[in-house]
Amino acid sequence: MNILPLVFGIIILTGSIFAGFARDPYAKLIAIGIIGGGIMPLIIMRGYVDVAAALAVIIPLSTIFVLQLCKKGAA
Amino acid sequence: MSLEFIIGLIILVIGTGACAFPRDREYLTRIINLEIPAFGLLLVALSFDETLALLTFIAVSTLTTFVLVMLVERKVTS
Repeated sequence: MNILPLVFGIIILTGSIFAGFARDPYAKLIAIGIIGGGIMPLIIMRGYVDVAAALAVIIPLSTIFVLQLCKKGAA
Repeated sequence: MSLEFIIGLIILVIGTGACAFPRDREYLTRIINLEIPAFGLLLVALSFDETLALLTFIAVSTLTTFVLVMLVERKVTS
């Protein structure tokens, strides 16, 4: 049995639980980065390198949008 | 059922719970929490081997985040 998907799954679950429980918005963004770091190898293992390339562009873009809101202190 | 499907469903449940009952009842927290179930749904789509669905969902998810951020900005400034 290949153990790598399980490891990446544990990384994704850790990130999602951390993102759900963290109070600080910046900590939440870091946790979402951890989720992305776990998802990216899973997508590449399936052979969708083009999807992974698109995701590598779009995940930071989404983070930048939320950071704009963090900077303004909107609550 | 593949491993991606199971993990995606678990994340979907965790993210939905975090979105529905956030620890801080702020718009920013809810917007960030909204990204967690999006990743779960992404994993579920990945388990069905649909490239076009994956790409479309990634793009639309980011677009939704952008629209919500614009909306909250407008609400905060007004």
